[in-house]
Amino acid sequence: MDVVFFVLDLAVLYSVYVILASSLNLEYGEAGLPNFAKAAFFAIGAFSVGALSVRLGAVFLDMALEGDFKLNSLRWAMSVSQSVARNPFLGLGIFIATLIVAVLVGSVLGVLASYPALRLREDYLGMLLIAFSETIRIVARNYDPLVGGTFGAGVVDFLAWAGSPLREILLLFLSVVVAAIIWLVYYRLSTSPFGRTLRAMRDNELATESLGRNIVKLRMMAMMIGSAMASVAGVLYAYYVGTVNPDDFTTSKTFLITLMVIIGGSGNPYGPLVGPAVYLAFDRLIQFTKQRLILPFDPNYLSYIVLGVVLIIVVDRHPGGIVPEKPTLTLPRELRSLLRQRRVEETWNRQ
Amino acid sequence: MAMDLLVDAVVYGNLLSLLSIGLSLTLLTTRVSNFAHGDFATVGIYVAYTMSVLFGANPYLFLPFSFVGGLLLGFLVYRVVFEPLRGKASLVTLMIVSMALDFILRYSVQIYADVLQRSLGVYTRGIVFKDVNVNFLGSTLPGLLVISSAVAWLFLLLLYLFLYKTKVGIAMRAVIENPSLSEALGINVKRVYALSWMLSASFASVAGVFLPFRITVNPDTGFSILLSIFAAVTLGGLESLLGSIVGAYIIAFSETVGVYYLSQIGLSTAYRPAISFITLALVLLLYPRGLAGLWSKR
Repeated sequence: MDVVFFVLDLAVLYSVYVILASSLNLEYGEAGLPNFAKAAFFAIGAFSVGALSVRLGAVFLDMALEGDFKLNSLRWAMSVSQSVARNPFLGLGIFIATLIVAVLVGSVLGVLASYPALRLREDYLGMLLIAFSETIRIVARNYDPLVGGTFGAGVVDFLAWAGSPLREILLLFLSVVVAAIIWLVYYRLSTSPFGRTLRAMRDNELATESLGRNIVKLRMMAMMIGSAMASVAGVLYAYYVGTVNPDDFTTSKTFLITLMVIIGGSGNPYGPLVGPAVYLAFDRLIQFTKQRLILPFDPNYLSYIVLGVVLIIVVDRHPGGIVPEKPTLTLPRELRSLLRQRRVEETWNRQ
Repeated sequence: MAMDLLVDAVVYGNLLSLLSIGLSLTLLTTRVSNFAHGDFATVGIYVAYTMSVLFGANPYLFLPFSFVGGLLLGFLVYRVVFEPLRGKASLVTLMIVSMALDFILRYSVQIYADVLQRSLGVYTRGIVFKDVNVNFLGSTLPGLLVISSAVAWLFLLLLYLFLYKTKVGIAMRAVIENPSLSEALGINVKRVYALSWMLSASFASVAGVFLPFRITVNPDTGFSILLSIFAAVTLGGLESLLGSIVGAYIIAFSETVGVYYLSQIGLSTAYRPAISFITLALVLLLYPRGLAGLWSKR
C-alpha cells in the first residue's frame, strides 16, 4: 500500500510539473515570452475545481447549500463525494465540467496577458506578470466566496465510486495520460512550422514580421495554449490534493517551474521532461535520507537550495540546459551563433 | 490615529527607499532585476537578531554588523554568481538566475533559523523587536521614526556624495551610462559592479533591521515585500535613483493610507499588497518611464 502511495505521489507531481514546464517552455523557450504568471494560471485550474466541484455537485443532486462557503465547503465536499460513491457518472460530470471551465478561463486570461507583450521589453513583461499573478492570489485569499480564502475549499472526490486501491490507480493513470497527451501536443507544436515560427519570432521579431507573420496573433496563440495547459495541471493537482488553498500558488511556484525549464533545456521539447525529473530526484533523495539522518533543521528546504545551485551552474557552464535546443540546421553555423549572441548583446549594449 | 498613520508611512517610506535604491543600483549597473533583493533584508534581520540574542542588547546597536554582513553578502553574490555571467546572459536569464539566488538565500535562512532555534532555544520565527522612545525637541517620539529616518537619510546623503564627489562614484555613473566606453577608458568595470552589489545588499540589510519593529518577521519576510520594492522602483522609472526614492515614499504612503481607507469602506486590510501590485502594473502599462520621465530628458 505504501508503495502505491509513493508511486502515486511521484507520478502525479511529475505529471503536473511536466505540464507546467511544457507550457512555460512553449511560452518562454520557444516564443520568448517570460510568462512569470505561471503560478496564477496553475491556480486558475485549481480554483475552478475548488469553487465549482462542490457547487456543481449540489446542483446535480438538488442539494441546498446553506451557510458560509468558507466554513462548510469541506463538509459539503464530503457529502457530495458520498453521492459520487454511488453514482460514477456524477463524478465524471463534475470532473469534465470543471476541466472545461478551467481551460476556458485559462485561455481567455492567457489571451489578455499576451497584450502587454506588445509594448513591453521582455524583463518588464516578466515583472508585470508576477504582479498580475500575486494580485490574483491576494484576491482569492481574501474573497472568501471564491475558494474559501485562507480556509481553503473542499474538493469533491470524483473517483469516490472506485474505492481504494482502484481509485489511486485510476488517478495515477489519469494524470499520466493527461500529461502524456499535453506533452505530445506540445511536442507536435514545437516541431511543426508553428514552433519554428515562434522561435523565429523570439530570435528576430522584425524579420519574422517582414516575412508576413502576424506577431500579435503568434503571441496570443502561444499564451493561450500555454495558459490552458497550466490550468489543466491545476485541475489535476486540485483533485489529487483534495483541497484548494490560495497560498499554494505563490510566486515561488513560478520560480520553481522556471528553474526546471532552464535546467531541463529551454526551447527543446525534451527539456520539460528532464527538468522536473531532476528536481523530483533531488527532492525524493532528500526525503529518503531524512528518515536515516537526524538533522537540526527541516531537510525539505535543501531541495530548493540544491535546485538553485544547479541552475546557477547550468546557466554558467551549460547555458542551453541539460538537453539544449537543437539548432536550425538550415542556417549556416556563423549565422546561428550570431543569432544566439544577439539577445545577450542587446542586454549589455543598451544605452 | 492620523499621527500613527503618518509615523507608519514615514517609517515604511524610509525602509522602502533604502531597499529600492539598492535594487535600482544593481539594475542600472549589472542589468539584473534582482528577485533576491528582499532576501538581503532578511539576512540583515537575522544578523541583528542573532547578535541581540547573544549579547542581550537592543538590535539598533547591531546595525553596523548588519551593514557589514550586507557588504560581504553583496560581494560574494557578485563574485560567485553574476561576474561569471557578465556579457554571457540575457536580461531574462539574469532575472531567472536571481530567482535561483532567492531560493538559495531564502531557504538557507530557513535552515539557519531552524539551527538557531535548536541551539539557542529561542523563537526564530515571528520575531518582533522592542522599540525605544526617544526624546526629541521636548516631545517623546517612537525611536523607530527618529532612528530609521536618520539612518535612511544619512545613507542617501552619503550615496549622493559618493556618486557625485568621489572618483569611484563618478566612475560608477560613467559605467552606468556606457559600460564599454568606460572600460576602454581604463575604469575597472568589474570593481564598480562589485561595489554596486555591496552597496545594494548592505542598504537592504540595514533596512531589514528596522522591519521587526513594525511587523512580525519570518525567513520569508524579505521575499514577501519584494514586489513593493519593485513597485517603488518601477514607479520611479526603473532607470533612476532619485525616481526610486520618490517612488518608495509614494508607495509607502499609498499602502499605509490606502489600507486605512480600505478598512473604512469595509474591505479587508489584507488587500494591502494589491495596492503596490496594481501600481506596478499600471505604471508599466501606461507610463513605463515612470516618475523619472517627468524630469529626465533621456
